[in-house]
Amino acid sequence: MVATSQLSRSRRPKWHYVAVGVVLIVVAVALTVAWQILAAPESVSRAVGPARVIAYFFGSLLFLLLIAGLVLIVILLLREVRLNERQSNFVSAVTHELKTPVASLKLYLDTLEYREMTPDRRAEFYRTMRQDIERLSGTINNVLNAAMYTDRPVADPRPLDIARVARHAIELTATRHQLPKEAIRYEGPAALRVSGDAQALETAVLNLLDNAVKYSKERVEIEIEVWGDADGQAHVKVRDHGIGMSRTHLPFIFTRFYRIGAEVRRSRTGTGLGLFIVRAIVKGHRGTITADSPGPDRGSTFTISLPGLLEPEAEPEAEAARA
Amino acid sequence: MPRVLLVEDEDHLAAGIRFNLELDGYDVETIADGLRAVDRLAPPPEGPVWDAGPAIDLVLLDVMLPGLDGFQIVERMRQAGNYTPVLMLTAKSLPEDVVQGLEAGADDYLPKPFDLPVLLARVRGLIRRRDWARGPAEGQALVRVGEAEVDFASLEIRKAGETVRLTLLEAMLLKLLVERRGQVVTKAEILEKVWNLNPDTETRAVDNFVMRLRRHVEKDSGSPRLLQTVRGVGYRLVEEPSPA
Repeated sequence: MVATSQLSRSRRPKWHYVAVGVVLIVVAVALTVAWQILAAPESVSRAVGPARVIAYFFGSLLFLLLIAGLVLIVILLLREVRLNERQSNFVSAVTHELKTPVASLKLYLDTLEYREMTPDRRAEFYRTMRQDIERLSGTINNVLNAAMYTDRPVADPRPLDIARVARHAIELTATRHQLPKEAIRYEGPAALRVSGDAQALETAVLNLLDNAVKYSKERVEIEIEVWGDADGQAHVKVRDHGIGMSRTHLPFIFTRFYRIGAEVRRSRTGTGLGLFIVRAIVKGHRGTITADSPGPDRGSTFTISLPGLLEPEAEPEAEAARA
Repeated sequence: MPRVLLVEDEDHLAAGIRFNLELDGYDVETIADGLRAVDRLAPPPEGPVWDAGPAIDLVLLDVMLPGLDGFQIVERMRQAGNYTPVLMLTAKSLPEDVVQGLEAGADDYLPKPFDLPVLLARVRGLIRRRDWARGPAEGQALVRVGEAEVDFASLEIRKAGETVRLTLLEAMLLKLLVERRGQVVTKAEILEKVWNLNPDTETRAVDNFVMRLRRHVEKDSGSPRLLQTVRGVGYRLVEEPSPA
């Protein structure tokens, strides 16, 4: 099942570990036996001249192979340890992200049940509960999307208007986070047609915008730019003026479960799946995603580039564009 | 009016809990950040003269906090000599999380999501337990345990000119043993009365706390003569140390 392969680790034995281990054992045994033969008194007289040189040459080669194998095993183990750490962080983050809104909903339901209150207060509690449900549903969608979107090419690409997808994502983000109209600025053409999965691309842009809001400082200020280039690529750039990040994190942020800092002292909500989903969707469209930040407190920029830009006069498929 | 400090970074939860506690007659102060909570509860001794504000009767403490987590906060509080009762609220509800919280120095632990009546009962219970722990034992304000003198009102224990502060749980455990001096108190009873936990809970917390108490009252905590283990049953505080 896709969900299993994307979110949890395979329980199959790690054959590459076994293979490297077996090779190392064989090399170690071969080296020991060869050394015993060479060291035997009767072999000294026999193995002289070129034979001895060849034996030493192969012996050194095997020894180097042994060391290389050990280094490989250490690298593989370190990778496993890092993945384990990230997974345990993910479980911790998802637990927090699921339980917190549930705890809040339960608290407000209990309060509504046990306490007398004014209609205004009651309305305020309902608003709070609605926001908790939004948050809960966001986390659930994130986990499901991470399972659904893989790096595999989109099954049924259709012509779509990426400019429209971006504008719709802006509207949704503004409503979801109750932002003023000027908080997210759109710059780009009225329409830009590419081929792909409109819903998946909207999820990708929404994730980037959600991140931009989440990592903004007090004032949310985001620019989203859409353009097509002469190489037949469409680009969507999301830029924020938020907390940014140090360059050391940039290579890892699209990795599944990766989050900056320790889970228990987290100040921003999230599961470490958002950017992983964006990358999976973009890869599914044979596109690329890049991230850049001049440094902490200096904002971040994410750019999605998609191949397959369609001519404006290309056969319109109203149904897909409306999606 | 008892004053409760609520350390919680989730706005919705903080507002909901505050609303309910205020209706029940508590003064509530809220802090959303771990480092600010430590400034309030465990100020550094070398810092400027500290005026933190009114005394706090109970701390409701979340575990996952920005800046510093709840376990570290409660540890710093205890190290700084602040023994205000702490009720930890957290999404982490595995038995090992509960034990980690109690070992760190919390007095009670409530996993999220919780029932509102349970939260309010725990808050009332903790303040009541603190009052019980601080009340006289065996009808006296000062109680002698071996060579140590225990002052339950200030939760202090004095031995050989040294004074040590007890946490609420340590004081309650000692008080239970003092009030039943000479009798065996079972582990299940201790878990229920002191920790407010199910008597079947598998934990080494009681043993660890008994070891801590031995360090306070015994001459040689390695071979205890006052606070004895009754194998497989529980613990007993003997009247007079048995001859060596």
